[in-house]
Order: sequence, then structure tokens, then C-alpha cells
Amino acid sequence: MSQKISRRDFLKLATAGAATTAVLTGCGPASRYVTRQPYTKMPEYTYNGLSTYYATTCRECAAGCGLIVRTMQGRAIKVEGNPANPINLGKTCARGQATLHGLYNPDRVEFPVKQARGAALATTAMTWDETFQIVSDALSKTNASEVAFLLGTASDHLFDLVTDLTKAVGAPAPIRFGALSMFESRATLSKAVENLLGEAGLPFFDLAGADLVVSFGSNFLETWLSPVAYTRGFSKMRRGNTQKRGYFIQFESQMSQTAAKADEWIPLLPGTEGLVALALGRLVAEAKGGAAPRAFASVNIEEVSAKSGVSLEQLEHIAGLIAQAQTPLAIPGGQALGQSNGLSTAEAVLAFNALVDNYGKPGGVLMSPLSPNEDAYHRPASAKEMADFIATMKSGGVKTLFIHGVNPLFELPKSLGFVEAFASVPTVISFATFPDETALASDYIFPDHQGLEAWGYQRSATGAMQSVLSGAQPVVSPMHDTRSTADVLIEAARLAGGKFAEALPFTDEVAFIRSKIANLIGRADGSFVAPEINTFASYFQQNGGWWSAAGDSGSLSPAGALGKSIAIEEAEFAGDGEFFFVPFVSPTLGEAGANKPWLQELPDPMTTVMWNSWVAINPETAHHLGVENDDVVKIISEAGEVEVAVYEYPAIHPEVVAMPFGQGHTAYGRFATSKLPQDRFMDLVPYGGLIGDATKRGANPADVLGAHFNKAGDLAFAGMKVKIEKTGRKQYLSRLESRIGVYGEGFPEEK
Amino acid sequence: MTATSKYLSGAHEAHDSHHEEDPKQYLMYDPKPRGEMNAMVMESMHTTSWKFWVVLGVLAFLVVTCFFFAWGYMIDEGLYVGGVMRPAYWGVFLVNTVFWIGISHAGTFISAILRVFKAEFRRPFTRAAELMTTFGLIQAGASIFMHMGRVWLSYWMFPIPNARQLWPNFHSPLMWDLLAISTYVLGSTMYLFLPLIPDLAMARDRSTGWRKTFYKILALGFRGTEGEWRHLTVAMNFFAFAIIPVMFSVHTIVSWDFAMAMRPGWSSSVFGPYFVLGALHSGMGAVAMVLFVMRATMKHMDYFIRKEHFDALGKLMLMVTFAYTYFFFNDYIVQWYGGDKATDNLLHWLEEGPMAWMFIQFVFFNIVIPPLLLWSKKVRETPWLLALIGLMINVGMYWERYLIIPVMLTINRMPFTWKLFQPRIEVFLTIGTFSMFLLFYMIVSRLIPLIPVWEVQEGQMTHSLRKVGKAKLPTISEFE
Amino acid sequence: MTVDLNLVGAKGAIAEAAQGKWGMTIDQDICTGCQACVAACAMENNLAFVGEEDAGYGRTQHWIRIERFWDGEYPHVQATPFQPMLCQQCGHAPCEPVCPVFATPHSPAEDLNLQVYNRCVGTRYCANNCPYQVRSFNWRDYHTVPELGNMVNGTLVFPLHNQLNPDVTVRRRGVMEKCTFCIQRIHKAQDKAKSEGREVEDGEFTTACAQACPASAITFGRVDHPESLVSQLAHQERGVKHLEELNTLPRVTYLKEG
Repeated sequence: MSQKISRRDFLKLATAGAATTAVLTGCGPASRYVTRQPYTKMPEYTYNGLSTYYATTCRECAAGCGLIVRTMQGRAIKVEGNPANPINLGKTCARGQATLHGLYNPDRVEFPVKQARGAALATTAMTWDETFQIVSDALSKTNASEVAFLLGTASDHLFDLVTDLTKAVGAPAPIRFGALSMFESRATLSKAVENLLGEAGLPFFDLAGADLVVSFGSNFLETWLSPVAYTRGFSKMRRGNTQKRGYFIQFESQMSQTAAKADEWIPLLPGTEGLVALALGRLVAEAKGGAAPRAFASVNIEEVSAKSGVSLEQLEHIAGLIAQAQTPLAIPGGQALGQSNGLSTAEAVLAFNALVDNYGKPGGVLMSPLSPNEDAYHRPASAKEMADFIATMKSGGVKTLFIHGVNPLFELPKSLGFVEAFASVPTVISFATFPDETALASDYIFPDHQGLEAWGYQRSATGAMQSVLSGAQPVVSPMHDTRSTADVLIEAARLAGGKFAEALPFTDEVAFIRSKIANLIGRADGSFVAPEINTFASYFQQNGGWWSAAGDSGSLSPAGALGKSIAIEEAEFAGDGEFFFVPFVSPTLGEAGANKPWLQELPDPMTTVMWNSWVAINPETAHHLGVENDDVVKIISEAGEVEVAVYEYPAIHPEVVAMPFGQGHTAYGRFATSKLPQDRFMDLVPYGGLIGDATKRGANPADVLGAHFNKAGDLAFAGMKVKIEKTGRKQYLSRLESRIGVYGEGFPEEK
Repeated sequence: MTATSKYLSGAHEAHDSHHEEDPKQYLMYDPKPRGEMNAMVMESMHTTSWKFWVVLGVLAFLVVTCFFFAWGYMIDEGLYVGGVMRPAYWGVFLVNTVFWIGISHAGTFISAILRVFKAEFRRPFTRAAELMTTFGLIQAGASIFMHMGRVWLSYWMFPIPNARQLWPNFHSPLMWDLLAISTYVLGSTMYLFLPLIPDLAMARDRSTGWRKTFYKILALGFRGTEGEWRHLTVAMNFFAFAIIPVMFSVHTIVSWDFAMAMRPGWSSSVFGPYFVLGALHSGMGAVAMVLFVMRATMKHMDYFIRKEHFDALGKLMLMVTFAYTYFFFNDYIVQWYGGDKATDNLLHWLEEGPMAWMFIQFVFFNIVIPPLLLWSKKVRETPWLLALIGLMINVGMYWERYLIIPVMLTINRMPFTWKLFQPRIEVFLTIGTFSMFLLFYMIVSRLIPLIPVWEVQEGQMTHSLRKVGKAKLPTISEFE
Repeated sequence: MTVDLNLVGAKGAIAEAAQGKWGMTIDQDICTGCQACVAACAMENNLAFVGEEDAGYGRTQHWIRIERFWDGEYPHVQATPFQPMLCQQCGHAPCEPVCPVFATPHSPAEDLNLQVYNRCVGTRYCANNCPYQVRSFNWRDYHTVPELGNMVNGTLVFPLHNQLNPDVTVRRRGVMEKCTFCIQRIHKAQDKAKSEGREVEDGEFTTACAQACPASAITFGRVDHPESLVSQLAHQERGVKHLEELNTLPRVTYLKEG
């Protein structure tokens, strides 16, 4: 963090302070469970016309942003950022704002059901007592090694609880997964750090202090790791320093939303990002005078230029900019890591940072601190680990599978064979809040609360140089007859008795959470101090978590990084198509936003498409293919095919096609799946008549991804080559932008 | 059509013969006894055929479905069933409004101005034209209300005293519009009614049964005494003079709805006269069509409506076309010359965008073709051809309004929002308003004399053929 | 500033009072186009979503939209800086005089353009006359159409209505709406300050969009207080106002790149 406090920062802090004093409201220890009452019987602390604010944690992704939810008369009205939380400092992204549409979604699993696999959501409710028995039996009557837990990346308290349980009974540790973590290539980042620094962890790129940022495919302004924190960093980089405006260069084969903010967007062929990093390293080292370190010495610049398509002049120009910069910073990410050579690309970029010597310094690469109650960095499973798990499932190694907070049927590439493996598991118990694909394919759904109805905590993996544990508390009483999964497991363990009951000796979830935060009592370096657990837990709720007061950048010694030779192997592309296929996570929908109508209605920042998927194709390429806007094309890879409408995107490499991830659900509620039935009466002159598959909204790029991994085990999601075929059909994409005004359609050439 | 072909052959004969022009071809010099003429008009009102009832039925059906049902549906569902959106917040309803007000113009123009200037050819068709004013205004008014998002609260636009002292905003051009149109409706209805009184009295004296009661009420006890005539004449003169400025102001004010707005293409100081001329242009065309239909379908009408009337109307149309052309070029060329970026975009959009076909048709139908045809007396005296030109002008003028409203609205100063309007339920409602207009005409054609008999008779009394030597000379005596 | 802007002849007075009261700056250099402001606005102000067809046809109810154009040809193509476009709360607003029923008057107290929903009769003249095209019309009762997702298990319920902000009217069909600068928040802050016997402080509250903006690109406050953050930002060299040549006196200042 910067040493000086600017006027602007002071004002922000003042605002934050003012807001926090207003916010000190939390469910007191006595009111663990609030029942939903009619307006006539409101909880006594609720006053007509006065709002109550609760601090909690966002669960739309794993970043762990603190929220303050405004409630009124027992209803959650508005999500606001928690100004005190170091991760987001009072800010939220669009997905965080729309979490209310998850809470009040018309399509939720409203009560526990026994589900016929693959059928529509069952409509007869079970009693929770029955479900406890079922879970208890599933836990205790299955061989411990054949029980598996598949968890999402939020929330961490459940992960801790399940870890404790599985440890105690000798079951395999829970596996965590999420589409975002798959597209973020967390394993690659962590492995590259380990290779270079000798210690695994998640690096934190301190954009705020940098004056020049070179990003290799990283989409840090969209969904990457901790987008709100990185956006703040970007904003500070650009405008934080009144003397100098930060400069931003992005190497990426298509212009993502992040690249759109770059001062220079430089398109290159996918898979050559690492080479460019090495070449820049060599040029920068030479420009600064002196020989290039070993890591960069062997690279042939002309060859890099030829392979990547970045001209020599451009490379030299950028190297010159970097050489002049005071605190340059390079970030790897996104599609650069989702390649077969993603690990070496990450290493090359991290080595580049070592070259410009910014490790451990403001504006450089820092190591994200561990959360207060974390022993080591636990990253979510890589795609390779998921593939191993799928193999175990297939071989009959899993008899009972518990799933919570993740939708692998939708998120994992079909080619990994999760669907078949899933079918071979005898008992699947889902704790899904929403009737998503995986939940509907399970035997039971014992719905968990939505994030705003639930207790918990989330460890912030990265985003601030403070050690952060964000706390979650219910801001409203549950809408439906749902139960916290942690409570279900605790109750089931009690019923099962023996080592199960011993593993989870808690009266309820809240007691468990208290046991996990108890180690922070008395720590003086935190956001608050409390002498005993009741007070501490109240403060924890009221503040929305606990975080260390000051940042600790640690001492990082990447000295070895430069001495090691880095070889960037040729990126391999699966399939014999002519186009590189680049999927990316929709910046507005994220991994699980498709069922929230207002997220659907948000235009994609770059294409302004709403409510649907598209494939971005360079207009030149589209012309050669004989397709135009809104033509439905079939994208065929070795792993499968998908049909999607064309968007002629002017800022994409002609050999690359890009497609957003997030749509194409076959379940997950009305907003995610079917076209909303529109009133067709008198529709004499149809406008943008929606033609296409009426049962599906958009398309899922995971359907065409093959099972290829990089060396760190992350999915080489951008390592596919695809063919494109015309279908002759049209699907009019709903765009916010005007095609007349923005693209000059139907307009004379003169501009 | 039989009447037409007969007339056509007659016209040929007239030209082929070396004979001096027969004064008898003019209605004024071809008098009939009053009784006979009254009987002819009465008969034309009584005569219906099965065709009449079939057309009436179809129109009534269209009015019920396309007007009342569709409108009700739209009120119930909201305006989304229409095609209006951002940026074309105004659509076909206001196109219809401006169009119908334009149509309504010709009625008063022909009737009042020509009455004031004592143009004799007006006499047989003032009534038909005045009816057009009234019926056109009804459709225009209905279209305004269709356009409103919450039509059930439209009374808020009227200055009705209320407890909260909320008044309408007299800064708003829409308010001026509302006042101008309601004044025009009142004035033109009075002006329609006054000359109708003697004819109603005539009809009252010649009918029985319910018709007698009907005419008795409407005729207000008119007996034709000299005092009554004097009062009536004074009132008619008064209204004829008063309605003229109202007529000009109405369309000028309608044009201000657009010209006062801060939009490229609209913000034009010449819009007032341009719209007035546009209204006359379409109105004259509509009169031509009405006369043609009347003559072709109603009994005895070929006596009252002659080629001299078509000829005169054609000349009037030609003159209006030239005036209109002047304003057209004035509007577009001045806007083009201004060089404002947004206006420039707009003009390119009109000329080369997807609606360019409409622009080209509009220019050809309104500016290029009419003067090329109307200079010829032969064309002017051919009723069906004149009616066709009238139709063409009206299509062109409809396009003009369509271009000015939804198509021009596409282009604004925020290129991110440009979107092209597509009508949906508006198509039905437009059919509904047209059907209602025709339906009213058909019903009224059998209820009130479409020919102002007394005016024709008055004219024939002042016109006479005097024998001077062997020649018969047409003479006109001053009446007043 | 006690000019009744609804009076004839107020024009000159308005020009003198051009600075207005409440204002906003939007830093286009750091706006990342992330749509958080749009979502926050929707949640705060009970905006309706309209579904795929209507959205594509130009009937979105966004009070703030983010515009993006292209500059140049591949490979030297650049996206122009994201441009959030919302009601500019013009000091001399073209929308105001044209409403026949005073549904969009000027607030003398707050110097904002008000939209009085229950007075609006839906002539849509204001929207036509808005050079920024930031007004949205309720083409139907979007909040209560069954097709938009309120039918649960065959019965019509409105679970999403639980979220509606009670401080903001839910607009029915046939009325115009637009950004209000979160006037409900302004009033709340003023009421609070008044009850505590003080003035509203700069930064004490902000609009929903500014509050959410992860890049802090949006700043809201008193533009007539020279020491407020928003005034200082607005008077930077890179501040521009949109369509200033129309003399609309917009209260939103855009900070350009560079």
C-alpha cells in the first residue's frame, strides 16, 4: 500500500468510517436463527421505515468481498460493499449487486427432495428429519474411502468442516472446483510461483503502485481471482499518481474487456505469450545495458516476432517503454495460461518481473498473505485433478458423492466424461440451492441456503496485502424450507455417532464457525480486539470479518529465477480446425450468473450482447467464411460441437474465434434456460425474431473443449483448434449498442 | 366506372368538335328546377345497393377489430405491442395524427378560402370537403390518444380546475397542439353545420318517419325566411373568415411539435409553412379521391360533379405542388447547407439508409410526378387519373410524415442508440383509422346531403346565359 | 439560487447558475465498463428487466448505459473509452418545457430534473427531446408480466418483488423514467443532517452507481461547493461535458483519457 495518504484516499477513508459506524448491526448471539415473519410480526429490532444493515460476504465468486446488505422489514433490499473490508473497500461488481436475484429467484430448490436423476425437479417435499437420516446413512454405511465430497470455491467454512470430518473418519479430502478457478488457471500460477520462489502460493500483482503494466492475456478487470481488488489497483495505477498516468499494455489474441482498457492492445497468436515475455525480457535487459540473464539469453527475437505476429518494432517500442518505466509490472493470466505451454509462460512472465526487480516492492509482485485461520494455500482442484477424480468415479471408487456449490455437469468440458462417471456413482446427494444440471442429475437435493441467508466465512485468497477472513451472516431469514449444509452434516454426524459425532461435536454451524475463529481472539494486530468468544463473534459479524491491520509483503527472493533457463515449448493445439478457439468467462455472468435476470440483462461490456452467447469472429474472417452477424454457425472441435450466433468483432486476431462461458444451461431455472415466452399476439412484423433452439439460452463452450492439460494440470482451454460450419439459420443477438451507429450498418461509407 | 368511361368519351367528343365550348357543360349554366334538384339529392341519399351494405359491413368489422379491439388490447397490455422504442419514441400514431390533420386541411381550405374569394367551382363539393375535415380530425384526435402511454389520464392535459392547482404546461408544444386542434375541431364542426342547415330543412320537408325526426332536430326549425337567411349568411361569413387563420395555425402548431424539439432534422424554422403546404397537398389529393368515389358510386352525382370541377381542383393541386416543392427544397437544402454533423448524418441516412426507398418514393410522388401530369388539361379532366394522382400524393405525404417521425428519430446525437423503428400493432390501428374515416363517410352520405343544394341553386341563380345577338354569353350577377 | 426554472425568462438566470447543485464526474480513463453501476442502479431504483426480445429492440430500462465505439481497423483497432451515459440533470433541460402536464419539472431545491411518475401521461416528448437519449419508457408492466418469470409452480407469485426498494416507486406501464441522481438517498442524507442540525458533508452519501463502481470512476457530490471532491475533479483540464454546444448545462462532467 502506498505510504502517503492522498486527499482522495483520506476522503474515502472518511466515508468508510462514517459508513461503518452506521453499520454496526449484527444478529446478536441470541438471535442465531431468525424466522421469516409476516410484516405484522416483525422482529423487534426492525422498525417500519428504517433499514437495518448487515455485514456479510459475497458468495458469487471466491474472492470474498465484504458486503453490507440493506434490509428493510425482513427483506434484503440492496447490496453494498463493505467499506472496511480490505478486499473490496466498499465496492462491488455487477455479480455481487445481483446476488439478490439469486436470493429471490423464482427457481430455487425450496425443500429437500428425492430426485429422479435427470428428471425435472421433484415436487414432493421430504422432511428434514428424513434427510438427516439419509445423509447419516450415506456417511456411515459407505466405506469411508468411497465417500467423496465435491465442493465449490465458496464458502470456506463448509470446506473446513468437511475437511475435519473427512480427516477424522479417514475419507478422502474434499475436492473443490469451480469454472472460474478452471479458467483462472490457479494451479499454473501457484506452480510457477513454487518453481521460481520455492513456495506455492497465489501471487498478488500490485497494480496500484506500478506505472507500467504489461499483461499477457490476463483478464484481471473481468473475473480473474479478485476482480474488484484488481480493478481498484488498475484505477490507482492509472490515476492514483497525480504526476504520472500509468501505462497499460495487453498482449491478447482478442480484445477482452481488460484489453479494451489498455493503451496498447497487441494481438498475437495464442500460445506465443511466453515467447513474447522472454523476448521483451531480453530487449529490456539489453536496453538497460548489460547482458540478458540466462532466463532470457537464449531467445531469438526475430523468431518470436515471426511466430507471434508481433512486429519487431512493436517489441522494441514496448521494451523501450518498459526500460524507461520506474515500476513496471507484468501479469500472466487468462488464455495465456490456458495453453499446453501455460506453465512456462507463467514462469517466463514471473521471471520477467524478476528482471525488472519488482518482487516484494510496491507496484510489483507480492505474495498473497494466508488467511488468518489458514495453514497453507489450498487451491481448488485443477482440471487434471478433476480428471483423476472422474477416473476414480468411473472405476467405482466412489459410492457416495456429496456435491455442494458447484455445477460440474455444466462447467467441466464434456470430454472429461464427468457425466458418465457421475451416472456410475450409486448415491449422489446434492446440496444445491438452485436446480442446476448437477442437482437435477442427483438422487437427493437437500438445498442449502442462498449466500445471504447463510452463516459462514470466506478466506480471501488474494486481493489485498492484508490477511483477511470475511465473515458471513444471514441478512434475512430463509425464504424457503432450506437448511444449512453444515448443519445437515453436523446433525447427520450426530445421528451416525461414533467417530462421526466426535469429528463434529458442535451444536450447530455457528458453534463450528466460532471454534474456527477462536484462534483470533486476543490477536492485537487485527481489525478489532475482543477478550472472549461471544464478544469476538459479535464483532466478527458486525464488521463482516476479521483482518490484520497492516499488510505484510514478506521477503521474496526470486534470485534464482533469472539464473534458470526457461524454455517455452511450442504450444500444442488439439484438433485439425483452422481457427484457434478461445473461451473466456463472461464478465457479467461469471460462472453462475445465468439464472439472475438482471445479470442476463446487463450487456457484455465489449459486444453489448444481452441474454445470449455469441462467437466473436474477425469481420474479415467472417467474410471469407461467408457468414455475417447473427448467422448461427457450428463450431466443431475434436471434442464436440456447439451452435452459436456470430458477432463480427473487429478486435480479434483473424485466426482466432472467441466465445463467452456462462450461458447454454439445460437446467438452472427459467432465466438461464429457455427463452422467456413472449407475447406473440399481432406480431405481424417481427423484429429480431428469435430463431433457434427454443429450449436453450445460448451455448456452452465447455462442450467443445478437449481434455488437454498444461504441465501444472490446468485445462488447456485455449488450446483447441476448431472448424466453423454454416448452418443457414439466424439467431438475432440482442445488443444494447446500435449496429447503425457503431458499425455504420445501412449507412453510407463516409464517416 | 361506367360513369367514368361515359364521361371520358364525352370529353373526347368535346375536344374533337369544332363547336364553341358549350356553356351547358358548366354546372352553373346548366340549371335544373329546384324541385328536381332537391329530389335528385334526396334520391341519392336513399339509394343503396347490396354492394353498399357489404362495403359498410366490412368497414364496420375492420373498425371493431382493428380500431376498438386493437386499441383496447393495447391499452390493456401497454405500448409494447407497438413498435415504439428508444430512440423512436414516437411512431406511426403521430404519423397518422399529422396525416389526418393534413387531410382535414383541404376541407376547410376549399370551403372557406374559396368561399371568401367567391370561387364558383367550389359550390358542389364544399360539403364533402368539410366532412373530410371533421372526420379527419376525429382520426387525428384518436391517434393522439392512441399514442399516449396512459390514455386514461389524458384529461390531465386539459386545464380542469383541481384541488392541487395542477395546470397543464403551456410551454409545451403539445399543449398548443391540443388547444389548436380542439379549437379547429369546434370551429370546423360549426362551419360544417351552418351551411348544412338549409339542406337539412329541405330534407326535413321531403322525408317521413325517423328521417323526418332526425332532420327536424338538426334543422333547428329553419324555414327559409329572409331573416333566417340573413342571420345564416352573416354567421357563415363570420366563420369562413375566422376558420382560415385557425386552419393555418393548426398545422403550423403541429409542425412546432417537431420544430421546437432539439433534434437534427426537426429543428427547422421553415417547418410551419412546410407542414401547412404539405397538409394542403395531401388534402387536395384526398378531395380528388373523394369526389371521384362520390361521382362513381352515388346516384345523380355526375350532374353535380363535372369535369370542370376536376379541372379546377387539378389546377389547385398543381399550384400547391409548386409551393410545396419550394418548401421541400428550402427545408432540406438549408439543413444540408448548415453542415451540422448530426443533421448531415440524418440526411445521409434518409438518402442512402434502409429507408431510402421511402424517401425516393416520397420525392417522386409529391414533387416530381404531379407537376409532370397536372399541367395537362386532359389529365386534369380525367377523374380517375386525378384520383390516382391524389392517391399517389397521399401515399407520398404519408411517407413524408413517416420519414419525419420514426425514421428521422432513428438518428440523434447519440449514435450508440440508433435503431430502426418497425411498426407492429400500428399497422392494424392504421387500418382501423382509415376504415373508420371511410365508414363515417359512407354512413353520412346516406344521412345528409353531400351536395350543398342551396349553394348550387344560389350559384345557378346568379349565373345566367344572356342572349346577345345569336350568341349566348355567360353572365354573373352580384348577389349581395 | 432561488430561480424558478419553470418560469418563462428563467433562461438567463439558469445560465448564471450553470454550476448547479448536485453533480457527478465520470473518469473515462479508469472506467472499465464492468457494468457494476448498471446493476447497482437496477437494484437501487427498482429497474425492470425486459427480456431478450425487448432488450434487443431498444427497450431496455437501463438508467445508465455504458457506450463503447471502435476506432481504427484491425490490428490497430482500439475500443474508445467506455462512456457511461446517464441523465445529465441538465440545468437547462430540453425535456422539461415540452411535457404538457409538468411531469418532468425542475426541482428548485435540488436543481435536478425530476420525473413525477404519477403525473406522467406518457406522451414521450421528453424522451424525444433528450439529446442524450437517457430516458426509458415503461412499454409494459415489466414488473408484473408472468412471462418475465413470476409464475412459480403454476401460481403467480412475485418473489423478485421482495427485493424492491421501498424508497423508490415501482413504475407502471405508460410512464417515463430516468436517472434521478438517487434522489431518495439525497433526501435521506439531508433529513439526517437536518435532524442533527448540520449540513450534508461531502462524501457522506453517494449514488448507487458511484457507490458500487469498483474503479471509483464515478464521483458524486455538490458541484457548487468548490472544496468538494466532485468540484475539484470537474474542474480538471480533462473534464468535458457532452453536447455542451446545445447549452443544456449538463451536471455530469466526463474526464477524458490522457
